[in-house]
Amino acid sequence: MKVWGMVLGGYPRGRLARYSLRDRERGTIRSSQFSVEMLKTHAEVIGVQKAAGLPVVVDGMIGWHDIFRPFIRNWRNVSVDGLLRYFDNNFFYRIPVFTGEPDIIEPVWPGRVAEFSLLADPARLKIVLPGPVTMALMSKNKAGLSTEELAERIAYLLRREVELTLEYNVYVQIDEPILSMRNAEEHWAGLAVELANNIISGVEDRSIIAVYFDFPSKKILETLLGVRAKYVSLDIVDSPRRAEENALPLDDHVPVVGVVDGRRIHEDRISDTILSIIKKLSGSGDEIVLTTTTWMDLIPFRYALKKTNILGRMVDFIAERLGGEAVKLWR
Amino acid sequence: MTGYEVPRKFPTTVVGSYPKLEPAKIALKRLRKGEASEEELRPFFEQAIRIAVEDQVKAGVDIISDGEQTREDMVVFFAERVEGYMPGEWVKIFDNVYFRKPIIYSQVKWVRPLTVEDWKTATRFSMGRPVKGILTGPYTMIEWSFDLHYRDRYEAIIALAKEIRKEIEALVNAGAKYIQVDEPALSTRPWREEAEIAGEALKILFKGIEAKKIVHICFGRVEEILPYILDYPVDQFDLEFKNSDFRLLPYLKEYGYDKELGYGVIDVHTTQIETVEEILESIDRLMKLDILPPEKVYIDPDCGLKRLPRDIALAKLKNMVEAAKIARERW
Repeated sequence: MKVWGMVLGGYPRGRLARYSLRDRERGTIRSSQFSVEMLKTHAEVIGVQKAAGLPVVVDGMIGWHDIFRPFIRNWRNVSVDGLLRYFDNNFFYRIPVFTGEPDIIEPVWPGRVAEFSLLADPARLKIVLPGPVTMALMSKNKAGLSTEELAERIAYLLRREVELTLEYNVYVQIDEPILSMRNAEEHWAGLAVELANNIISGVEDRSIIAVYFDFPSKKILETLLGVRAKYVSLDIVDSPRRAEENALPLDDHVPVVGVVDGRRIHEDRISDTILSIIKKLSGSGDEIVLTTTTWMDLIPFRYALKKTNILGRMVDFIAERLGGEAVKLWR
Repeated sequence: MTGYEVPRKFPTTVVGSYPKLEPAKIALKRLRKGEASEEELRPFFEQAIRIAVEDQVKAGVDIISDGEQTREDMVVFFAERVEGYMPGEWVKIFDNVYFRKPIIYSQVKWVRPLTVEDWKTATRFSMGRPVKGILTGPYTMIEWSFDLHYRDRYEAIIALAKEIRKEIEALVNAGAKYIQVDEPALSTRPWREEAEIAGEALKILFKGIEAKKIVHICFGRVEEILPYILDYPVDQFDLEFKNSDFRLLPYLKEYGYDKELGYGVIDVHTTQIETVEEILESIDRLMKLDILPPEKVYIDPDCGLKRLPRDIALAKLKNMVEAAKIARERW
């Protein structure tokens, strides 16, 4: 059994990034200086992940106000509206408003990947995309399209992001947190799977579909297993009881298990319950990936760095408990 | 205090916060930097409360608030004044806006009145209008804090409810006739078990309290939690409607809602000022459903006005009051 780790998504902003963003909003910092200041934080979070031995890293998405925003900014026929609560967090995202069929003005990821791949080396970079179903359902749709059509169009544009980063061999993660909602409908999951399969075509072996903030229902999870992504990421700490009830062996998929709480600051520990859920999800598989339960952008910066380190140690701990081998970047 | 007669039908009110006024901004900044004590800065806060109250009076609002001018944030304010909390670090709320998410490190304990002075100051300038005593509820306080002590949400919420109860008693002893407990976090996990926890806490808060008892909930899936909260020991639910396009209305009918209703008709997340006609339409929309008599309907904004520019907030309130006046004739 191989055990390795990767952080699920974005990092919070430290003082430097917060102030740089503020100065940019006020127009008191030059664009070149702003880029340098932000790069320092990106380099720091990438460095911390590498130091923790994580073979796949994220750039931290430090400048992203929410998961949708950079795409909205770079797409045609969509703008942002007022604020809406983002799941059960004390955090608000700006609602995307689609007024026509969206199209790309400029892709989001290729430039970032070119910039950060060298910093990440020898670790592999992961790009994170908003799930088209989550995005469509959490937007205002004034495009004259059905929700399904809008999601399909979003997926088409996200596919372009993947195509344009192919040469860098990045990992691709599609976030569909809406599937964790207790009122999530099965057909959302079916659509999410169909669209994810289109987005990741050709890169299935390094693709992840991620559902977090809660553990999905059994039916949603069963549907989700139709995805051709090699990795399925699930948050098992937010509601261990629900995870215990609904977990099932992930068949041909490798479980990516959220064991480090990305929304709280306490020291994480692995209980017997958590360990048994991990075993259940892995079934007869020979690979397990550990991750943070969610993005870490809603905890203070220094705790996110600390949690990264905990994740690295957790890989060793779980590998030992499962009698497996910890796969670390420096080993 | 002169006797102000609150209209029998469609009284107007506010949820609580008003845009931070310059004296309060200065005082909060100096307080945070440790340059002066709360006592030394009191004149600044009193000036800010006075202006906030005068604006509400000018707009013609019937039941007003102190504008929460002394509160840096609805959670931080209480956390900094209740024993067992320590200051937190910056965590994102939206865009490049943050709050210092507090940390519970030991048993929580109320040690002195927290809001009574502000309530008294507001009452002094209110021209006889009643001033709401407004507190952040224990459910939301715990949800929006990091808990390093209790590590059991139920235990933490109940412990805090017992302490916040003392603040309610202090407000009522000072003469407050309206007590509002804000529980916005409740809408984020709209499940029976969560509603029950919050309900237990409200029982502790309100048992035997002789004042109008209000709970405010907003921005989330309130319709899903509604059936589980209808028997809460409160006189009034104050709810957001406008921002969610009155999605909740049919559910009030379906569940036979019969308590008083704080009816949110002003979207606090947009600077677009609702016209009198638009607000009247919103009121008509409720009344046509024949759920409640006008005596049980309080007209107010969806939530606090703190994120709006002052002139916009004032204009919105003026239109709201004007619409309520016309509605009184109509219904």
